Amino acid sequence: MTGVNVSAQPMAPHPRSFARAAGLFAIWLLLVAFIVYPLVMLLLRAFLADGGFTLDALFAALKSTSNLRALRNSLLLAFLVGAAGTLVGLAFALALDRANLGPRTARLIDGLTFLPLISPPFTTSIAFVFSFGPRGLITYDLLGIKNSQMYGLTSTFAAETLTYFPIAYLALRPMLASISSNFEEASFSLGGSRWHAFRTVTIPLIIPALANAFLLLFGCSLADFATPLILAGSDFSVLPTEAYLQITGMFDLRSGAILSLLLLVPAGLVFYAQERVVAGRSYVTVTGKASASARRDSLSTGAKVALLTFCVLTVALILYFYALLFWASIVQAFGANQTLTLDHYRVIFTEGLPAIKDTLIVAIIGMPLGGLYGIIVGYLIGRTKFVGRRAMEVVSMLNYALPGTIVGIAYLLAFNDKPLALTGTATILIACYVFRYSPTGIRTTIALLQQIDKSMEEASASLGASNLVTFRRVMLPLILPAFFAGLGVVFIRSMTAISATIFLVSIDWTLITVKILENMTEVALGPAAAFSVFVIAVVVAVTGLLNVALRRMTAPSLRISRIGT
Amino acid sequence: MKTEGKPIRVDKPPFASRITRRTILLSALASPFVQRNALAADSLKAYSIWPENYARPMLEAFEKASGIHVNFIRFSSGEALARLIAEKGNPQVDVLFGGPVETFTAGEEQGIFEAYTPPSAADLPPRFKSQKGMWTAIADDPLVFMTNTKFLQEHNLKAPASWDDLLNPAYKGMLQMADARTSGTAVTRIFSILQVNNRNEDAGFAYMKKLRQNIQAYTKSGGGGTVPVGLGQAAGGIFFIVDALFTRQKGYDVQISFPKEGIGSAAECLGLVNGNKNGAAAKKLIDWATSPDMQSLLAPSKINFLPAHPKVAPDPDLAAILKSANIIEIDDRWAGDNRKRIVDRWVAEVLNAS
Amino acid sequence: MAKSLEIRLRGISATFQHESRGDITAVKDLDLIIQPGEFLTLLGASGCGKTTTLRMIAGFQQPSAGEILFDGANVTNVPANRRDIGFVFQNYALFPHLSVFENVAYGLRIKRQNAAKIDAGVEQGLRQVGLQGLGGRMISELSGGQQQRVALARAIAIKPRVLLFDEPLSNLDAKLRVEMRSEISRLQEELAITTVYVTHDQEEAMAISDRIAIMNEGRIVQIGKAEELYRKPVSRFVAGFLGNANLVRGTALAADGGRVTLDIVGHRWTVATDATVTIGSVVDAVVRPEAISLSRSDGALPGIVEGRVFLGEKAEYRIRTGDLELLVVQWNPTAGELLAAGDTCSVNLPAAGVQLLV
Repeated sequence: MTGVNVSAQPMAPHPRSFARAAGLFAIWLLLVAFIVYPLVMLLLRAFLADGGFTLDALFAALKSTSNLRALRNSLLLAFLVGAAGTLVGLAFALALDRANLGPRTARLIDGLTFLPLISPPFTTSIAFVFSFGPRGLITYDLLGIKNSQMYGLTSTFAAETLTYFPIAYLALRPMLASISSNFEEASFSLGGSRWHAFRTVTIPLIIPALANAFLLLFGCSLADFATPLILAGSDFSVLPTEAYLQITGMFDLRSGAILSLLLLVPAGLVFYAQERVVAGRSYVTVTGKASASARRDSLSTGAKVALLTFCVLTVALILYFYALLFWASIVQAFGANQTLTLDHYRVIFTEGLPAIKDTLIVAIIGMPLGGLYGIIVGYLIGRTKFVGRRAMEVVSMLNYALPGTIVGIAYLLAFNDKPLALTGTATILIACYVFRYSPTGIRTTIALLQQIDKSMEEASASLGASNLVTFRRVMLPLILPAFFAGLGVVFIRSMTAISATIFLVSIDWTLITVKILENMTEVALGPAAAFSVFVIAVVVAVTGLLNVALRRMTAPSLRISRIGT
Repeated sequence: MKTEGKPIRVDKPPFASRITRRTILLSALASPFVQRNALAADSLKAYSIWPENYARPMLEAFEKASGIHVNFIRFSSGEALARLIAEKGNPQVDVLFGGPVETFTAGEEQGIFEAYTPPSAADLPPRFKSQKGMWTAIADDPLVFMTNTKFLQEHNLKAPASWDDLLNPAYKGMLQMADARTSGTAVTRIFSILQVNNRNEDAGFAYMKKLRQNIQAYTKSGGGGTVPVGLGQAAGGIFFIVDALFTRQKGYDVQISFPKEGIGSAAECLGLVNGNKNGAAAKKLIDWATSPDMQSLLAPSKINFLPAHPKVAPDPDLAAILKSANIIEIDDRWAGDNRKRIVDRWVAEVLNAS
Repeated sequence: MAKSLEIRLRGISATFQHESRGDITAVKDLDLIIQPGEFLTLLGASGCGKTTTLRMIAGFQQPSAGEILFDGANVTNVPANRRDIGFVFQNYALFPHLSVFENVAYGLRIKRQNAAKIDAGVEQGLRQVGLQGLGGRMISELSGGQQQRVALARAIAIKPRVLLFDEPLSNLDAKLRVEMRSEISRLQEELAITTVYVTHDQEEAMAISDRIAIMNEGRIVQIGKAEELYRKPVSRFVAGFLGNANLVRGTALAADGGRVTLDIVGHRWTVATDATVTIGSVVDAVVRPEAISLSRSDGALPGIVEGRVFLGEKAEYRIRTGDLELLVVQWNPTAGELLAAGDTCSVNLPAAGVQLLV
């Protein structure tokens, strides 16, 4: 009975279904072709030489001091970004959840933290190049510092922290919200100070969330190739950038493959640790069902003021960056000729039009495919039983967990030749985005399915519905939010990501982000800024529409947080 | 939420139109999944090493003159070369357009070009054409020192007039120049340094290691440092004259100067890609680009390359600037033969020196 | 209305695979016949196999052995969606993305009925549960009781031949529970659908059912009308599960012609019974608390009041006599004299209405 049902699985009444078997087969085929096969090719390229397996190249790479320095730099940067980003994220989560801000202020701050998440990769970097350094708008014009440097660890670290802290905020805020302030009040009523309550009650309860946020940011920074490319300078090399230069510059695929493999180990460890943290996290003990209207009085006034000041300053900095970007897009030549012009927009909509078209085509085709793939795989993993389910879960996550550089190089190696010669097509770009960014949809689907009681399906069956009808009329609408989440992420990433696809663009199919990089490294800052503004506008519009659709089409009780996160 | 009792009526289109509409839709949806083949007989594909703002006006003029559309994508020289080598079995483009000669000699060695000698080649001096006809020059592009005027004033400096001027500690951490792994500008710069050191590699590298102290950043592309120099974020660097003058044209206050010991110049070339699929059209482009037809457009388009063809006079302003310059010749055969080794040595000894 | 249907379970078992404990048998070789139109309740503590049995009748779960017959037809391998059942879930399992109307219409749409029929069917279903006019609401806008009614309406709207309830009232508060159970029983009578109802609440079971099957450890330990089970429990388990019971252990001293005399803590107690008792054997007598009376005057059994709970319409006493502790209920206690803890009293055991467990 109930006691037994919880832990035991009832036997499925209809174990075989042709449609499901066919679906499973098709999914496995895709997973093998677009995840397993490229990675195998990457490993073969790295370890196969003169017809035999050898680790020589790996050892050689490990002996090279410059490689080791790049690895050390990567890890150092990732650690710093993880720690600082988590703290900033925590500050935002606390300010927005516990500081009793007005709903408008809260919504505004919340909305602005969204910006860095949907921006193309170089936006923060562009702004940094203008703002810091010997003649930077902030360092020189504002603060009068003459000999500051804009390249190196500090600015890369600061730029990445500003770019990625919203991820930590998004991971921490729901956790903080789910901790009833009753706990804090209880501690408070027992005579502890607010700080004591925070330290002894709140922090221990969100430690898993903090760890998770740290690992997320660590992974993001480890994989980030765009920010260091612009800001790291020559004295602070990091692995993803080195691997990229090795491949694009020297076309040394083997060294590139090996460099990217050096990233594999820390990335794998982070992914594993994260799985452990998430798995070990108990939601049940934390949800103390607080009354929604309860005023949370768990922060002292001083703390509130400090937090709010910090958040407002950070948000102001973000706003300033985007204003700067916008400014750069509408003046003739930033810093020299401040005449207003729409020239750069004319350029991107004429010369840049192919890239815009290609990007939109790739994003629009990838979007539904990614959404569908996400809920199908999520449903298979979350709701059905089959041999290899766990394997499917792990494999489906691989391209997401690995740094984009590895995935891009693997695709380049695998699809350059028969049997799947896809280089030069949009397929390779679409596949890359779908298989790299759908895991969000998969995870959301699984999480939603966990909330949907099995009795929903049984109720439908008892009313005469077949499995297919039940899926279509009950399960599908209920996991629709996951579908939209999947759509949103794939679209946003198709518009903004570069680390993997930079290796995959071709004369026929190029991408806005690659154009931005090209313009950034050339003298054309105006078009780079104009492209960025365009991407942000499109992404804001599309995610806005998706959010509206999501709100219209889904049951209130099953809503998920906004799309794109 | 009630949906019953409201049947949605759709007027069914005639079968035929449904079919065509579906066919069009399907082919539109399928199109990204197949390779876009050569679009038409009167078009060709190219990798351009020249940036968009130089290449586009030229190739559009070509289309106007010949009716042949050139579909191109821009890569920095290292990237373009790397791609052509990787695609040797199945070339994606017909022409490699623009870019310093050392890229072409390196490519020639890799066998990525097909010999084609355009009529104008007869008029060109030897350094502007491959002996085997693998590539032909369309322009010449000397390197220059470019420095920020305000920086010079604040530090009481004159525009650098010698290689050693760049070693001045005033420039410490303030120079930007290109990374030899991706940029032809950088490779030309390195060979210039070796050449002024009489090809004494150790002496040349010793100089570069000293220069390394003053480097703020090595940029991915040759022109990458121009805007930072223009803004004063960096003090100066070594660039192709075309990029330096473009920076000045945009309104940035920069000085252009030359080292008295001499500085190299790179012939800007183009070549027919081996295994090309639109040979006839590609040859027309090569004929046109190597002739005065294109090169006489450079000056009016404010593109500050020196024309390669002797019959085209350079822009007077450009000629005036170059009057004081000591431009030395780099033997491109020697450069091509040693390119990879020298770049590797640069990465190991200069870039990664700590 | 279609003729009511008979359900027959023949030797069914249910086995689960547990991750660490291996196979667990939740239902063991169970036989049961549910008469056409009957309201049968499966009553038992959690883990007794009652829900598993219900789910096997529904077709949500496959028995590992045995067969299930609907009107003699073997439906063991028929999936749930073709068994023509209405199922009401403990958590209601209403579709949150659909309105009340669409929830009730769900089964009708699957039967591909036309719009008019669906309208009428939903209308009737909602009327039957007293929710007319609420069709446009979303599920989240309803109270718990209303949600329960929608679940009920949804199940009966398809006019099933079998109605199955899985602890449908356990999430409601006490008052609503009483209200709903009489409504369920009224509806069931009206529709005359064969009904199986699962609960762990004995009062609910007694109030609602034609017959009750008490289950323990995967088996039915006794089945019958409520008063039969109450009056004549066949085991200590049943006696203790249905209502309160004092188990009074004694040795048979004499037995003749429907009367048995027992030795209870040194006292003789004669009861009328139809049980056959061997002289000298030890016998447990099930004595309901309300069947015992207390008095101040001398009786057969002297006792001491150990505790008293006054509940208004009744008072409950804990009485010790020798090593026997008895629960005694005194109805309408304010009419007479209340005893207090520590008082001595005499205990009068009833001379009839006692079940002997031999």
